[in-house]
Amino acid sequence: MNPSDLMRLARGPLFYFALLFFIAGMLYRLTRVVGFGWKKDLTKPKKSKIAGSLLAFVKSVIIWPFIPRVEGSLKRNLVAYFAGGLFHLALFLVVFLGAAHMLVWKSLLGFGWPTLPLPVVDWLAAAGIVALLVLFINRLVNPVLRTISHAAEYLNLLFVFLPMLTGFFLTHHLLLPYEAMFALHVLSVDWLLIWIPLSRISHFVFYFFSKAIYGAEFARRGAQP
Amino acid sequence: MPERETIYEVLQKRGVTRRDFLKMTILLTGALGLEYSQVERVRVALETKPRVPVIWLEFQDCAGCTESISRSQNPTLTSLVLNDLTIEYHETLMAAAGFQAEGAKEAAMEQYYGEYVLVVEGSIPQGAGGVYCTVGGRTALDILRETAEGAFAVIAVGNCASFGGLPKASPNPTDAVGVMELVTDKPVINIPGCPAIPEAMTNTIAHIIALGSIPELDYLKRPMAFYSHTIHDRCLRRGFYEAGLFADSFGDEGYRKGYCLYKLGCKGPTTYNACSSLKWNGGTSFPVESGHPCLGCSEPNFWDNGGFYQGQSAPLQRPEVSVVGIAAGAGVVLGAGAAALNASAKKKAREQAKAASHQKEEEKEE
Ligand code: SF4
Repeated sequence: MNPSDLMRLARGPLFYFALLFFIAGMLYRLTRVVGFGWKKDLTKPKKSKIAGSLLAFVKSVIIWPFIPRVEGSLKRNLVAYFAGGLFHLALFLVVFLGAAHMLVWKSLLGFGWPTLPLPVVDWLAAAGIVALLVLFINRLVNPVLRTISHAAEYLNLLFVFLPMLTGFFLTHHLLLPYEAMFALHVLSVDWLLIWIPLSRISHFVFYFFSKAIYGAEFARRGAQP
Repeated sequence: MPERETIYEVLQKRGVTRRDFLKMTILLTGALGLEYSQVERVRVALETKPRVPVIWLEFQDCAGCTESISRSQNPTLTSLVLNDLTIEYHETLMAAAGFQAEGAKEAAMEQYYGEYVLVVEGSIPQGAGGVYCTVGGRTALDILRETAEGAFAVIAVGNCASFGGLPKASPNPTDAVGVMELVTDKPVINIPGCPAIPEAMTNTIAHIIALGSIPELDYLKRPMAFYSHTIHDRCLRRGFYEAGLFADSFGDEGYRKGYCLYKLGCKGPTTYNACSSLKWNGGTSFPVESGHPCLGCSEPNFWDNGGFYQGQSAPLQRPEVSVVGIAAGAGVVLGAGAAALNASAKKKAREQAKAASHQKEEEKEE
């Protein structure tokens, strides 16, 4: 199979399947979690819990979720917070504001938006890659993290790393011809789409749940029975 | 068979002086993309090799590549290729027709067996035994097999002959394919494009005539001399691409300022061809220069590589809303099922715990 055929396969049927798997998989996870239900609260909350949830979201919009702001957690593992913050920031900006990525969204959603200049995207991508490597090393070095890390955690890092690396190589015409790298980039994204619902990378959805629940908890201000 | 005249001898008879001949050799060497040191090689070849006959076949085509080659702007090459090489058979260009023409072709095939260059324009339909394209009552499939057998090399000009082109576009009703799918025991050279760049065609033919060898090819059998760079590599709008300055729609401000056409669907980054360096009509312009995104016409499946105005990075297949709905529905149903199982397990556990504690209490009371 030549690079041109591989590219068609990756952008065509494989992407199609991966996207549907992703949608079905994420909704499965979501419904299942929602199905757990909330514990009945027998005490009267001090403030409105709904307002508390909303406040948590507003806060997270103003103070972007990936910027560390909790002093205590900052002290615990500085590297994880900064590298983690940078990684998420870079990833989001590149995935949504890179011109090539926006065109993918546009083709799926039917509308587009302005994008960032290539050099900016490029530096962000490089920063994201470095941050991910730092996170990996941190996971190996930090005794607590190492104890709680298993194959799945390392695979998560690897499967996110691959699209980032191939994407960077692709724009810089490194290692392989452009279309071969393009094919590998899309293939790695296809795989990631399948992997996400099966793994903890799905936290990008559950993040909103924990935000809501913690917001409600803060508003409640009662002791746990 | 009488000794055939060499190319130089033919030129001499036409009154070309030695001086002009040497000039021509130098120009040709340059046009072939060879280094200056290769002039000798070309000169010797022209002095010793007889003219190579060409048979040009047209199948499922529009004759656009023929139109294109007839506008080759390099006069030396035009004269070399169109006058000095002998085109024995070309349906669009020849005066003869009918049985006479077919007869001439057969005679040439016999006389120059193993020597002639076969040029194919248009794709070959395989469906229904190949009846979708017949010439003189015979299928394209048949004619190609027969003519390719005695050829020195086969040159597929245009996207159709190279990769199937328009006729192969989904759903490919005639089961059309390019030449290289059918001719596997001969060197095949692809010069894709819609149409192919005239100089890419003439120079490749000239290379075979002058050097008697096949030029260096890429993995899609395209001559490296013309297909080793993408349109994007040498595009005059490239600076705007790098700076992130794009035209968002035809005629908007960015468009009028000559910004990059990537967001209008330009396929330049994945399209290998010489448009942005050789350009068209004697170096006048090329599509991207005149304001249209590259369609990617020198790549396989170019009609099915996403829409022409769809981003080059966009997926090729997008699931319909209904399909997404089914996938989403399946996910929700499975999730709800799992949740129900969880809930019943929880209930059971609770009941068991209750029963156990009752039992304990009862035991205590006793
Ligand atoms: S117009 Fe097309 S080929 Fe030119 S720089 Fe933009 S994307 Fe590349």
